[in-house]
Amino acid sequence: MYALIDCNNFFVSCERLFRPEFATVPVVVLSSNDGCAISRSAEAKALGITMGEPLHKLRERFTVIDPTSPCSVPSQGRPSVVAYSANFELYGDISERIVSTLCSITPQIEIYSVDEAFLDLSPLDIDNYIKWGGRIRDYLLRQIGIPVSIGIAPTKTLCKLASHHAKKDLSTGGMVYLDPYHNAAHYQQRLQDTAVEAVWGVGWRLAPKLRVEGISTALELARLRPRQAQQLMHIQGRRLVTELSGTACLPLKQATPPQHAIARGRQFGHDTDSLGVITAAVTSLAARAAAELRREHQRAHDATVLLSTNRRKPNYTRRALAIRLTAPTADTGTICRALIETLEQGFEPYKYHKAEVILHNLSSDQLLQIDLLGKVDARSTERSERRMHALDSIRAKYGSASLGYASEHLSTAWQPRKALSSPRYTSHWQELPVATIVAD
Amino acid sequence: MDTLNLLQETATALGSDVATHAGFPNPAAGRTRTPLSLDKLLITSPASTYLFRIRGHSWHDSGIYDGDIAVVNRALRPKPSAIVVYTTDTGELCIAKWSKICPQHTTQDATLWGVVSATIHLTLNS
Repeated sequence: MYALIDCNNFFVSCERLFRPEFATVPVVVLSSNDGCAISRSAEAKALGITMGEPLHKLRERFTVIDPTSPCSVPSQGRPSVVAYSANFELYGDISERIVSTLCSITPQIEIYSVDEAFLDLSPLDIDNYIKWGGRIRDYLLRQIGIPVSIGIAPTKTLCKLASHHAKKDLSTGGMVYLDPYHNAAHYQQRLQDTAVEAVWGVGWRLAPKLRVEGISTALELARLRPRQAQQLMHIQGRRLVTELSGTACLPLKQATPPQHAIARGRQFGHDTDSLGVITAAVTSLAARAAAELRREHQRAHDATVLLSTNRRKPNYTRRALAIRLTAPTADTGTICRALIETLEQGFEPYKYHKAEVILHNLSSDQLLQIDLLGKVDARSTERSERRMHALDSIRAKYGSASLGYASEHLSTAWQPRKALSSPRYTSHWQELPVATIVAD
Repeated sequence: MDTLNLLQETATALGSDVATHAGFPNPAAGRTRTPLSLDKLLITSPASTYLFRIRGHSWHDSGIYDGDIAVVNRALRPKPSAIVVYTTDTGELCIAKWSKICPQHTTQDATLWGVVSATIHLTLNS
């Protein structure tokens, strides 16, 4: 038996935790650079705000309230919506609190995304799943302050379906237990009420194909014969149908497989053709990618810088500068030096809007480096590893602003606009939430 | 940030030798001891503990000052005498005695945000 714990409009819930006055009004959280809505409260969804709707479109239809300005009086006439810039530092902190709480229930956990986790319930001794789910829901709401929906079912695919219903159907109390072996009528009803597009694993490409075959609900999909499913959707389809009918074939993924490439990208706050500003941005992105590389115990042999102008403006241009490093490395300094050199040689001054650094051709740092050409100096490799270890541990202890490469700080002009961002309530002393004393 | 600490740590991490000349050896060396941790004292359940900045001057008598830090634990059930952070009708976060907000000792969980388990007052203004 599995459970899916799925936070309800997670980013909005994090913001609301410290601003209870927004608990019942429409709220959205915007993507980096205040681009488009990436999290919407139920009230915002009810206003017809779609996922990914850009801020300038919202301004056409609604009065957009700035949560950072002290007096936010809703205007008469047009409906109003509170719009936040994404505050990923806050969301990351709250997400860790939820994960650590779930881990204390069972170590058998798959962190599926920042706001979703699967638990394997089979080792736990639970006699009433509905009661158990309700308790977990209350616990997370009370102790951390985040509302979640819970789906419990014998397979991960059914958990997804159940949590979808727990979220949409308010009569469920945020908790759905779906089990064909326990309550077949309820199971059939729920699958009957699920459009085939909403099934986990059925994408926009597969859905029309299934519709043509006369399959429009999850129940019809679950009733396919395995051979038929395989003909229509290959082996994944067979697995999908088996999962939907109540037999698990997707195990819990606890360790994430090593990545094939690590990319870090940013849109600039303002378009720029200044080499200095772009160098600062690229170094800073490369430093973050290299730190991730070391966390994953990998080294990169290739690095690429992608620069692009604004897609929405005329003469959209993309420039890629690729380099091969002398030897696989995870050294921030080595990677940055190589990238800066390439950038200085190959830079063309367009009004760039976005930069991306990709480290690829990765290998484990546990592998011995074969040194046929005498390129790898063992002594300097060891020194580099010690230097990076020092860098990482100092940054871990004193914060990421404590130590870094100078070229990261040549300019801050590239950093994205976050005009509507809430304070980093949980990670900066100067930004703690405020509680006002009420006199006796 | 403690610059000396930082320098020493950098040096140690880089593997250079930081000489410690010892005349009289540390008598406690070799005995296992855990340094006192304020985190452990103040934060009993990290996942449900949040820190707040206190605003207001009317609680000097109770030793609580404007700018102090409140350690707020959402996992605790408040006793009537507890100091709590709660949500007002207008959606503001305020701090008060639980008995004052909830005189009949009914559990109005909707208004309760968390229980203040400690306040921290820095005597040397930072």
